[in-house]
Amino acid sequence: MPGYVLAGLVLGSIYAVSALGLVLTYSSSRVVNFAHGVTAYAVAVFYHWLNHEQGWSILPSAAVSLLVFAPALGLFLWAVLFRRLTHAPPTTRFLATVGLWVALPAAVRLVFPFSQGEINAPQGLAKLPASVFHLSALDVSINANQIAVLAGAVVVVVGMTALLRATPIGLATRASVDSPRSAEVSGINTTLVTAGSWMVGTALAGLAGILLTPILGLADLEFTLLLVVSLAAAVVGRLTSLPLTFAGALVIGLIQGISVDFLPAHGVLTTGFRPSVPFVVMLLCLLLYQGLGRERFEVDLRAGPVEREAPAPPPPRGWRAAVGPGIVAVALFSVPLWLNGFWIGVVSQGVALAVLFLTFTIVTGEGGMLSLVQATLAGIGGLITAALATHSSIFGWQVPNPFSSSVGWPLGPAILAGALVAVPVGLLVASLSLRLGDVYLALATLAFALLVEQLVFARHEFDQFGAGIQLGRPMLLGIDFNDRTSFFVLLAAVFCVVALVAVNLRRATTGLVLAAMRSSEQAAATTGVSVVRAKLLAFAASSFVAGLGGALFAITIGRASPNSFNVLIGIVWLAIVATWGVRSVVGALVAGLLFAVVPQLVAEHLPASWADVPTLLFGLGAIGLAREPRGIIFTLVNATRRARGGRGPLALTQPPAR
Amino acid sequence: MTDPLLAADDVSVRFGGIVALDAVDLAVPERSIVGLVGPNGAGKTTLFAVLSGLQHPGRGRVRLSGIDVTRATPQRRARLGLARTFQRLELFTELTVRQHLVVARRVREGRDRSLLRDAAGLGRRPSPGEDAAVDSLLELLELRDVASLPVSMIPLGTGRIVELARALATEPRVVLLDEPTSGLDVHETRQVGAALRSARSERGVAFVLVEHDVELVLELCDDVTVLDFGRVIAHGPPPSIRADAAVQAAYLGTPTDGAVTR
Repeated sequence: MPGYVLAGLVLGSIYAVSALGLVLTYSSSRVVNFAHGVTAYAVAVFYHWLNHEQGWSILPSAAVSLLVFAPALGLFLWAVLFRRLTHAPPTTRFLATVGLWVALPAAVRLVFPFSQGEINAPQGLAKLPASVFHLSALDVSINANQIAVLAGAVVVVVGMTALLRATPIGLATRASVDSPRSAEVSGINTTLVTAGSWMVGTALAGLAGILLTPILGLADLEFTLLLVVSLAAAVVGRLTSLPLTFAGALVIGLIQGISVDFLPAHGVLTTGFRPSVPFVVMLLCLLLYQGLGRERFEVDLRAGPVEREAPAPPPPRGWRAAVGPGIVAVALFSVPLWLNGFWIGVVSQGVALAVLFLTFTIVTGEGGMLSLVQATLAGIGGLITAALATHSSIFGWQVPNPFSSSVGWPLGPAILAGALVAVPVGLLVASLSLRLGDVYLALATLAFALLVEQLVFARHEFDQFGAGIQLGRPMLLGIDFNDRTSFFVLLAAVFCVVALVAVNLRRATTGLVLAAMRSSEQAAATTGVSVVRAKLLAFAASSFVAGLGGALFAITIGRASPNSFNVLIGIVWLAIVATWGVRSVVGALVAGLLFAVVPQLVAEHLPASWADVPTLLFGLGAIGLAREPRGIIFTLVNATRRARGGRGPLALTQPPAR
Repeated sequence: MTDPLLAADDVSVRFGGIVALDAVDLAVPERSIVGLVGPNGAGKTTLFAVLSGLQHPGRGRVRLSGIDVTRATPQRRARLGLARTFQRLELFTELTVRQHLVVARRVREGRDRSLLRDAAGLGRRPSPGEDAAVDSLLELLELRDVASLPVSMIPLGTGRIVELARALATEPRVVLLDEPTSGLDVHETRQVGAALRSARSERGVAFVLVEHDVELVLELCDDVTVLDFGRVIAHGPPPSIRADAAVQAAYLGTPTDGAVTR
């Protein structure tokens, strides 16, 4: 038992160091850094590169990593990205840090290439093999790594307390955190304070990363889990209180550590328990704080004025309105005429993904909600479809097959069922969205997605040792879609129908209501809009589209595998969709095509070491959102309309006399 | 005595240790304009939040058209004929001025529930009478010139008038106005006053007015309630309020306080 307590305390200390960095950067700039986990990853990789590849000893490696590299990285990221985000709309703030989350690991792997074998047993701040000491008073063995972690946490706590409580810098920081504007007019250089807090915050992330590697290895998924736990701890501290955050992180670590003593050694309960702890803690705290203060959780209560977006020129009317969509549709359907069989397959994947990506268009673009669970919903659609189509059983429960005498369902009804099953799951998540605004919803959906991944997707019936479930192409309404070309046409038609429905909704009353809700939920509600209903509808529709797209994508690649729909891939998807325009159906199409085609092109024409380049580009694109949050398609369309008609709002700044 | 259109009975709200409202009564008869005045922090905005359903009172009841709506959602109250404007503008930043009125009207008609029709592409046409109704409101509030502009491009004063127009577009029976003339110039203030009178006489709308322009309140209102530190300290027709000692004390301080800083 004391051994498990110690393990929990060690884990909790690492979480705490990381969470303190997250809260520090948030309080000084009001940006929740979703890339916090990957900055920890970047510093850890740099340390390992110095320590292992360059043969430096532990102390200088750590000193250079934490006192030079990490602060420099923090300063750089602040200067090029976070500085601009403080006054950006919440969606932009979120998507830009998501872009960094995608780009940074790819950049790190390009700069510091490792083979996987070397990363398996990384060294932390203690020499390997770690020496073990036995404390007979407590009857517990402690190794040098654990001592390093505990010592690191103590140094951080003492250092931060001294810095914040007993120095002029600390006073300036606390003042800037409480009220940036008052601090500024009192003569405090808030820019310096913010830059400093990003440097310290990144160093804390880096320390946590280095301490974590001997325990969990140097894989970026583990750092996503570190991020989620840090976020959960930060929620315990309401994103502002350092002591509460620290305590929250310790508690999460202790629960995870001690639980090992009580759980069975194998099984879903064991694998699912660890990731579910931060989720449950986060959810309980969010609900508890709401009950206490009745405050709505908004991230930017004290942020400055939100920058106004320049309005779009009015869309063309009449037959002109059909020209743009017409060209896109003709180009899409003519693909089989000018590509060979292999590339039709690649482009088919792109179109299937484009259908899936419309889920982001609906939930984030139209609904204005920041959800990280859409890839998981797509996975549910794909896996349920595959399970029904192959053996008609889900969770060991035999589903009756009313459609045919064979074992599996026909693919058509199976696809529909998959998409429909995603809807109640989506509505479950949506119930969170009724209570949580903006970034808190993103936190809760991220935690929920990881939970589903560990509890459901990891089940053998879906995972099949990582291979997933095989799927063929469908026969629908008596038409055989087995050859590549006809299946491509089917996908393109589905995309067009779903995109048309999305556009119709946007241009009708539903779109007006959602636009009203995105701007001001209070004003919408007092105008008579049922905000609850609108949010649930947006989530239900987006879940159905996610499920449908997930099923089609699985069919296109021939198998439904949980690996195709994991949280990290979902992040990349969101980043690339946002780059091209999260409100644009054409943006979704371009994003889908690029996601499928670019890696294929890179694989064919560039050396293998460039494999991370597409991901890097996708991430950098989303980071670029800090300049134009509505994406590339919007910019292009806007420029065309201005150039052609000049009837854009620029010409309207003087109200026309009427 | 007939039942008032909108009434707050014995409403109390506490935020932690602060008593924001303490046993406040307010009655708004049909077709009346009721003034709500008081120094900053007196609880006016909190009372509006309670009336419109954005804040639940710790104690007391809110009635609208004789129905107890104390626990009702804001949108239910809106559908029963309650509309409001906000002190800090809450406009729909992505919509044009005209679209503000259109969405408010369509929600009133229940068109926000016609999802399938919208999905099929049939939801873009205006409802019968919608264009005429929206145009007449734009005319009434002199918003025609800016009707096609997105609200992010109009000045603050015009934004306040758009909020009023949006509230009237829901065809309300009573509208809560939170400082409708702050930031407006003399002409715009007069225009708002005229619009309120005309909405009352032509559409039978009642108003509750939170306002710092005391002259405007005394001129427009049939009845004035004065709040200070969450309590009603005076209530009556404008002339009696003007003469009330307690009101003068609240605004100017009493000699016994030894200070006139408030």
